[in-house]
Parts: sequence; C-alpha cells; structure tokens
Amino acid sequence: MTTPILEIRNLHARIEDREILKGVNLIIPPGEVHAVMGRNGSGKSTLSYVLAGKEDYEITDGEVLLDGENLLDMEPHERAAAGLFLAFQYPIEIPGVATMTFLKAAINSQRKARGEGELSTPDFMRAVKTAGTELNIDTDMLKRPLNVGFSGGEKKRAEVLQMALLQPKMCILDETDSGLDIDALQVVSKGVNALRNGNRSMLVITHYQRLLNHIVPDVVHVFSDGRIVESGDKDLALQLEAKGYADFDGAAA
Amino acid sequence: MALTVPVRLGTAENTLIEQLNSVGAAAEAERITVAGLPTRRVESYHYTDLKMLLKAIPPLAQAANEASAPALRIAGAYQLMIANGVVQAASTAPAGVIVGKTAGGVLSTRDDVLVHLNGALAKESLTLTLENSVDPVIQIDRRIEGEAAHAADSVKIFVADGASAVILETFSGSDAAHVGNHGTYMALGKNAVVTHVTVDLSSRSAAHFASNEYHLADGAKLRTLVIHAGAGLSRTQVFPRYEGAGAHGDITGLNLVSDGQHADITMDALHAVPGTTSQPLFKSIARGRGKSVVQGKLVVARDAQKTDAKFMHQGLMLSDEAEILSKPELEIYADDVVCGHGSTCGKLDEDSMFYLESRGIPTAEAETMLVRGFLEELVDPIEDEALAEALHGIIDGWLLAGK
Repeated sequence: MTTPILEIRNLHARIEDREILKGVNLIIPPGEVHAVMGRNGSGKSTLSYVLAGKEDYEITDGEVLLDGENLLDMEPHERAAAGLFLAFQYPIEIPGVATMTFLKAAINSQRKARGEGELSTPDFMRAVKTAGTELNIDTDMLKRPLNVGFSGGEKKRAEVLQMALLQPKMCILDETDSGLDIDALQVVSKGVNALRNGNRSMLVITHYQRLLNHIVPDVVHVFSDGRIVESGDKDLALQLEAKGYADFDGAAA
Repeated sequence: MALTVPVRLGTAENTLIEQLNSVGAAAEAERITVAGLPTRRVESYHYTDLKMLLKAIPPLAQAANEASAPALRIAGAYQLMIANGVVQAASTAPAGVIVGKTAGGVLSTRDDVLVHLNGALAKESLTLTLENSVDPVIQIDRRIEGEAAHAADSVKIFVADGASAVILETFSGSDAAHVGNHGTYMALGKNAVVTHVTVDLSSRSAAHFASNEYHLADGAKLRTLVIHAGAGLSRTQVFPRYEGAGAHGDITGLNLVSDGQHADITMDALHAVPGTTSQPLFKSIARGRGKSVVQGKLVVARDAQKTDAKFMHQGLMLSDEAEILSKPELEIYADDVVCGHGSTCGKLDEDSMFYLESRGIPTAEAETMLVRGFLEELVDPIEDEALAEALHGIIDGWLLAGK
C-alpha cells in the first residue's frame, strides 16, 4: 500500500483549557482531494492551524504523518519545506514587505531546506509570471506590499499563486471561498484544479457546498464537535446542503 | 530667605568646568558650576539623565595622528572630513559647492547644555555653501581618533534658493571612550530641497551627542533621518524652524539599541509662520536591556495659522527587558491648526510571523523581513540608491549582530 500523504491519528488539541480537537482520524492517499465540512466553531480551522504548526494550540494526544514523517515534531517552516501548504482563510497583510521579496524568500528557503540550489532571478521571474497569468495576477499587484490593500479575491488568488510556486505535496485550503464572488471563485477554483495531480493531495475546508461544485472532492467528511463524524462521497455534501448539519450532530457518539 | 542647596558636582562636571575655563569659556563653566549636568528633573532630559549617564569626560581632543577606516563609503560621494574637531583639507568640490571654514561654533544660543558645550568647545567650523543643485551625495565624515578624547566640531551649511542636495553625515572613530559633541546648522533657501542623513557609527564605548538646527525659508522641503547605531550613549537633538510659508519637514529618526545602550532622539520644532507643515516620524527597535528615548515637541507660534503637523513614534520591542520611552509635546499658540501626536509600541506581530514561517521562511529570517518592513517607511524615501543601500546595510548589520 502506498504511504498516505497525510495521516492523522486520534488528534487532540486544546487552546488554554478548552479542548477543540477531540480525536480526529483522517487518511488522505496521494492525489486525492478531501473536503471537510462543518458548521462554524466545529474546529475545522483549528485543524488547519494545528497542522500548519500555529503556537497557540497544545497537542494533548495523537499523531500526524506527512508522507510518513512525523509532522508535529517540526517547526512551521520545516513543515512547509516538507511539503505542507496552508491557504489562509484570512491572509495576513504585511506592510513594508514587497510581495516579490516574500515569494523569493519563501521559494529559496524551502529549496535550501531540501538541499536544492537557489532559483536564479530570471527563473524566479519567469515562474511568477507564468503562474500569475493563469490567476489574472498582474505585475502591479506583485509590486505592492504583501497582501496590503488587496481585495478579498486578490488575497485568495495570491494564496493560490504561492501554492502554485511552492508546489506542495499537501495543500490545506481553509475556507478559500469566503469573501469571494462567483467570478473570483471560478478563477481561484480553476487555479486549484490546475494543481491537482496524482501525487498532490488536498484538504478543502468549507462550510458551503458551493465551493465543492468547482473543486470536486473525492471524499467528503463531516466535522462536528472536534472530530469527523461521517464520511462519504461528494453526494454527502449535497445531503448536508439540503438537510443542514443538525442530523450529524452526535452521530459518532 | 530662600535656601539654595548647592549642586553636588561629580567627576564629569568638574572636568567639564576645567576644560571650559581652559578655553576661556568662563560663562559656560559658571553655568555647569551652578546647575550641574541636567538630571531627570530637567524636562528635556527626563529620560536621559546626563548626570547619571556621563561618569567621566576624557581630555580635550588633540589633532589626530592616525585615522580609522571610514565607517561608511557611498559610491560617487563627495567626501569631507573633520577629525578631532579639526576641518581636514578637502578635494576639489563639485560645481557650485564652496567649502571653507570659520572659527568657533555655529549653533544658535539656546538653553541646552549640549548646545552650550558645542558653542564653547568647537574651535572651528566647516562651512559649506551650495549655490545650485548638487548631484553627488555630500558626505561629511566626522571622526574622533586616537586615545579617548572629548571633541567638539561643527558644520554650517547654506543651501541657495531652489537648490537641492543630499547630505550624509557619519560619526565614527577609534574604539575608545570618546565624548563627541557635534553641531550642524543648516539654512535652506526658498524652495530648496534637502535630504540630511546623520548616522552614528561610533564605538560602543563612546558617547555621541549631536545638535542639528535647521532654518527653512518659503517652500523649502527638508527630509532628515537620524540613525543611532553605534555609541553606548547617544543623543541627537533636532531643531527644525519653519520660517517661510509652505516650508515642509519630514523629520525622521531611528534608534537601534542593544543591551547596555541608551539612544535618545529629541526634536524641538518651531512652526513660526502661517502655512507650514511637518511629518515627524521616529522608530525605535530595542533588544536586550537596551533603552530608546524619543521626544518630540511641536511648538506653533501665535501667527502660525494653518500649521499641519503630526508627530509619530513607533517602537518595536525585541526583548522583554528592553525599554522604549516616548514623549510627545504640543505647544500651540495659534487657533486654526491641525496638530497631533501618536505613539505605539509592541512586539513583532505573531500572526505575521506565523504567516511567513508557514511559507517555509525560518524564524530568524522572518524576523529580519518584518523588521526591515517596519523600517521601510524611513529608508524608502531616500532616493539615492547607493545611500539607501548603505543604510539597509547598517540595519541588516545590526540585526545580524543579534546582541
């Protein structure tokens, strides 16, 4: 059996005294796109932050393997270099840091961590230009400080641009549809779909089924009260949309 | 009967009195005898108690016999040097630049001990007249060389109507416990445009004091940037005077302090006539037990209606033990003005750090990026590329030193 790209076993995490993840189990094989759906406050975003390594959370039990490696032992930047990418629900605005400087630092840091040489400036510029064209990102946007003054759509397109440049093994998309109109949703989804391949896996976190019309998942999981309570194919998302989350509350109890 | 308690004079004060008497500055000597060095009870020295901080004053500087390496080299710059208070011979000046020297100091009298000391102890001043716009950066390299010395020097600069220039002053020297007291007087003619950058790169064992006085005529535009990145104790006083309608000042500064350092930027600005504007912007970065002080006073004269001025200070704490002290003051006698002040202080933003790290950027590099980003507002407006690059180099050097 091939090694799953992501394997989460009995993951428990809390912030201060409040337990938020209460035993998450999830296996994502290479090339599959899994969706996690759940209502606000069910712990979906916490799951994405815990996987990316945000400090605020304390892991109390369980383990996470990224392509067979122990993810929880790594610093956030090591996780990125190992192939994990989190597309933020709310990308952070960083005044004074030019977008291009940031992109180059990110790419080269990861290459360095993997023992690869730095990308030359012309190669880097070419890569950004190619990826940017697909996402309707013009050079003006790249000249601005990172995410500063970007519209909701621009921020999400910039996240997908980073994903395209960094070529991660495992992409986590946290509420990528939030703040997007239909046109922007299509551009972003197209960008994400272009990155789907047999080796790259994705975890798409959302509470609307709408996004899943554009990024069609292989497996849908329902998240409730800090764990996965039901899994199925993409039709499960349609059922959820029709009936709401209430039927699934306490399903695993 | 009023009871006067005589001030107890310390070693530093006694040496100063001796030195002042030796150059015939009896009035200044008397002033120190009566008042001593300013303590925290003197408002403008509240956070920089010179009586506490200045333990000893080295002997008055003798002519320099040797020179250390230049602290900063800017490609293509026209360089002038003052070593141990003595104006050095200059190379051929660019067209329209007249270089000379005069006896004595240059600063206008004001009730301030550093200004008094500079006036009494500066033997000669470098004078610089810019008759037209000057392309190359003019660098005034001010040094204190040899054994520990107390040196005073001064520079007087006239910028003709409509002329523009970029002037850099660097302060450096040998690795000894010098006390430097530097004065710069600059008069900007009508519509003159000047960028004036002063960078302290003297050794950690030195004390660096500078007082920069500016007079702006109608429509003159001044950008200043003070960087403290050297001496253990530093204070730069900035005195802009907006004396002509339409005059504008972007008065900026940066304290980079590490463990054991104390850096102070004190601005006292006067908006003297109607229709002048200024944007003072200062930043502090402190680590270890470093201490940064920024004081900014805006005085608006009774006639100076339509003054638009806002003082801003932003502090970044890189350690829990660091101290950043900020004091804005507004003294407004006119009734139709827009004046304000703001001050913020904090650590590096955790969400920004996480965002950068989540993209694979290691912690130290992410910190450097955020600090550079924090300072970009100060360096970005410096249009001369070689100069901006050199300033980035100083900031990066400080960050890399890490202590």
